[in-house]
Amino acid sequence: MSDLVLNILRKVQDRDGFVSEDALKRLSKDLKIPVSRLYGVASFYAMLHTKEQGRNIIELCGSPSCYLNDGFDVEKLLEKEVGVNFGQTSKDGKISLFKTSCIGCCDQAPAMLLNGKPVVNLTKTKVREIIKKCRS
Amino acid sequence: MKIKLDGKDIECDATKTLLHICKEHGINIPTLCYQESLKPDARCRVCLVELNGKLVTSCSTLPSDGCSVITSSEKVIKARKMNVELIMAGHVKACNIDNVSHNISGMLEEIGLQGIRFDPIRDYEQDLGSAVVREDNKCINCGRCVRTCAEIQEIYAIDFASRGFNEHVAPYCEHNLADVACIKCGQCILHCPVGAIHEREHLFEVLRALKDKRKKVIVQAAPSIRATLGEEFGMPAGSLVTGKMVSALRKVGFFKVFDVDLGADITIMEEASEFLRRVGKGGPFPMITTCCPGWILMMEHFYPEMIKKDYMSTCKSPHEMLGMLTKTYFAQKEGLNPDDIVVVSIMPCTAKKFESTRPELESGVDFVLTTRECAKLIRHFKIDFANLPDEDFDSALGVSTGAGVVFGASGGVMEAALRTAYEFGTGNSVTKLEFDQIRGLDGIKTGSIIINGKEVRFAVASGGANIRKLLKDKDKYHFIEFMACPGGCIGGGGQPPHSTHETLVKRAQAIYHADAGKGLRKSHENPVVKKIYAEFLDKPGSEKAEKLLHTYYQKKSEF
Amino acid sequence: MQILKKTELAALKKAQELGAEKVIELLDKKGLVGRGGASFPTGKKWRFAFDAKADEKFVICNADEGEPGTFKDKFILENNPETLIEGILIASYVVGAKRAFIYLRGEYDYLKGNIEKVIKSVIKRSRLDVSVEIVVGAGSYVCGEETAIIKSIEGFRGQPYYKPPFPPVSGLWGKPTIINNVETLTCAAQAVLFDDWNSSLRLFSVSGCVDNPGVFELPVSVRLSKVLELAKPRGKLKALFFGCFGGCMPYVDMEMTPENVCGQDCVHGSCSVIVVDDSRSIVDLCYVIAKFFAYESCGKCTPCREGTVRVLFLMKKLKDMKATKEDLALLEELAHHIKNTSLCGLGQSATNHIITGLKHFREDFEERIL
Repeated sequence: MSDLVLNILRKVQDRDGFVSEDALKRLSKDLKIPVSRLYGVASFYAMLHTKEQGRNIIELCGSPSCYLNDGFDVEKLLEKEVGVNFGQTSKDGKISLFKTSCIGCCDQAPAMLLNGKPVVNLTKTKVREIIKKCRS
Repeated sequence: MKIKLDGKDIECDATKTLLHICKEHGINIPTLCYQESLKPDARCRVCLVELNGKLVTSCSTLPSDGCSVITSSEKVIKARKMNVELIMAGHVKACNIDNVSHNISGMLEEIGLQGIRFDPIRDYEQDLGSAVVREDNKCINCGRCVRTCAEIQEIYAIDFASRGFNEHVAPYCEHNLADVACIKCGQCILHCPVGAIHEREHLFEVLRALKDKRKKVIVQAAPSIRATLGEEFGMPAGSLVTGKMVSALRKVGFFKVFDVDLGADITIMEEASEFLRRVGKGGPFPMITTCCPGWILMMEHFYPEMIKKDYMSTCKSPHEMLGMLTKTYFAQKEGLNPDDIVVVSIMPCTAKKFESTRPELESGVDFVLTTRECAKLIRHFKIDFANLPDEDFDSALGVSTGAGVVFGASGGVMEAALRTAYEFGTGNSVTKLEFDQIRGLDGIKTGSIIINGKEVRFAVASGGANIRKLLKDKDKYHFIEFMACPGGCIGGGGQPPHSTHETLVKRAQAIYHADAGKGLRKSHENPVVKKIYAEFLDKPGSEKAEKLLHTYYQKKSEF
Repeated sequence: MQILKKTELAALKKAQELGAEKVIELLDKKGLVGRGGASFPTGKKWRFAFDAKADEKFVICNADEGEPGTFKDKFILENNPETLIEGILIASYVVGAKRAFIYLRGEYDYLKGNIEKVIKSVIKRSRLDVSVEIVVGAGSYVCGEETAIIKSIEGFRGQPYYKPPFPPVSGLWGKPTIINNVETLTCAAQAVLFDDWNSSLRLFSVSGCVDNPGVFELPVSVRLSKVLELAKPRGKLKALFFGCFGGCMPYVDMEMTPENVCGQDCVHGSCSVIVVDDSRSIVDLCYVIAKFFAYESCGKCTPCREGTVRVLFLMKKLKDMKATKEDLALLEELAHHIKNTSLCGLGQSATNHIITGLKHFREDFEERIL
């Protein structure tokens, strides 16, 4: 069991879907770290969420290589199919959409992370399939 | 080490930063995030100088052998200006710049910033508390409040949150300060250069009360105000302005001007007696003073187990005691309806604004104004403070002793209490009234005294970090004084912001000077105090005294 | 590929036989330099930590590969993790560390399971008393900076701090710490073991407007035309971007040495090349990059925190053809200011794309003015 704050916060998020206020308080007590500092850490990182998220998290890469290989405007397609803007969660709570920086799949662009796992060489069909799977 | 400073060959200490070396040679580099006594952060990037042609932050950079340092080339001035421009662009204008610590206004002038070519982007809600207010839109992310709360006070109520241009200062989970474990000491206010944190002002309410013909608005001034108020009017630090202060308050239109030092004398009567009772019973020890509402909040949030263990004195703070006596004893004597009396305390303290709203404490005080607000009030009435004649407090509740005035500096409560406790306990006066071992600005001070053959060990700590340190050894002592603000009330969160340690030293000296200049030096010698007990309270710890002058405490969340 | 050669714990054995000092000398001799972008001589770095007196020392493997257009470390993590782990163990042995960390970026979390298996297996077989722990990042490009990694592992916000002190002298929890890139540590094991180890070979990550993007192992002095021959650009070449941080240059067939790249005002970094053809606008791409830096700025220092977002606003105006001449002048002034006064490498390179973009493609920018 890691004693490192970053690993612990991640574990909490893996378990609860996000890092809640209660979790922060409990950690503060256990680790003897001020809760204001723990919140400062949790809110610093793009992949840690302090608010509840959708069941599935899509993180679309917005960095140069994916941008240069984006023949069909993946961003717009995702927003249309999921029905929300980036940074929001769909009303049925099934999908949260995020834009991220480079995820390291530049040779398989455009790409995204779906629940932390890369989905690469995106096409219109692939995107629609993914959304369907998330909704089921 | 030999280096070139602005073209001149100089010798310097290789372990000192360029900022210090420049200061030693009369060159003052503008700074913003730099805080004396704390390790440099180098985040604001205002203190730039050229080191061998490269721009570096002087606060964090050490010299290298034979290097060339240039402090005001066009490159340096342009770079500093642009960083200040970027800083101020993020800061929404119309701030309490006249209320705040030394840096920003003087620095803006020095930097020569003319226009700001960028629009503000911050859009945060205000955090309105009963004592401390946060206005995030004015914040410039210098981090001084965060570091003060963390490293000097060790309270950790606030920290930075989010990232990049969204970085902002916040309590955990974006709560309001009132809803988290903040002790309202206001030290953050003293360190904020732009007034993004400031006290909740009550001037409007006081002015309205003054205009209300039905009300008798009585003002009472804390011990340390007389040593600091002058600074707000251009007088040098350490000016003792008791007489002018009274005169100004009378001119403002207060019905009576009372002296909280008298309240302090009453506090000593109660507290010294309380302590001797414990000495007689053999405990519980240590007994800890409770004049400081910042300390009380710290105890309730972080050390609530101390409540059950009965370490805390049950005495209210001096201004609360005096407020109660004003609305009971004084009102009765003068045939006034207590409902028509409005009591206004001038305090060095932001926590006292919260204190008067505590449900555990029946408050005799209606409004608390900080030293800064008091100065604003005086300026509002266009009173020429520096040229006022000296006047005396209204005698009904205005006579005080030297013991009352030393409350203003860290160690003062203890000193005053010991002068009385010793005499109550042994029947003799202490040989030396000044307890030098607990005077001065050290964070932790200790001493001991023999009372009836028993060694009484006492200790004094000021500032959150020192309090936490002393608490680890608390069982070594019988009597402890805690003040949440470093230096005690002279360094309180409501005082004029003091840029240097020197200022605090001078303010403390003024307090000790005031003590030495008093005819009466011990609380129990105060004739008005004697009268109040004879005519009204009976004796310290009486039922009436318990009801009016004592309080209790409750555990609060550690978060 | 040289980078895929497995050392099978023979390198560690050799290192232990040579002893720490001789290993450092060997790496000096072989000319191993850091492959994370700074090209600092590896032996020299290890020597600082080796010489430092402390009761604890640490090794951190920087697997926070966040530079857009860079995916070579991922390639190594997927295809030769054993040799990487051995490199980490050698580094630990040499400097005297008992605890090593792999700071694995959050976006590579899915690789963690396999890497943990490999760590377990390699350590068991090596019988070395060193723990290798994976710290998973959480989406922060700035945490690739060595002082930010330290803060991040210590449990603080991943914000860089000023140096000195330098990590090999005082780093993680104030102890001597060496931080090396994935490729560097893998090469360290190979350089120790293989007599014919070639120090000039680098892993080029090539992507962008190309039909054959990927990781190519090539000598550092390879001609740019050869790189492109392998990557197969789609259209007429317009520019090369060296990641987001390295700036851009028009196509010039030259040897890809750091000196030549510097000559075009760009930074070689860790050999990431993003190819841009003339179907794409430089200004629009610079807008995407400006968004990246504004989003990834840690927020600590004024010029980067306040500057990168202002740069973004100005780039948006240019993108939308709403900018004035004054805006362009202000953009250029800001760009140089952020570069010259920022606290860390992120801020210091956050505007290279603008500065080089203006140098090499000024007409593209001026075209967008009202």
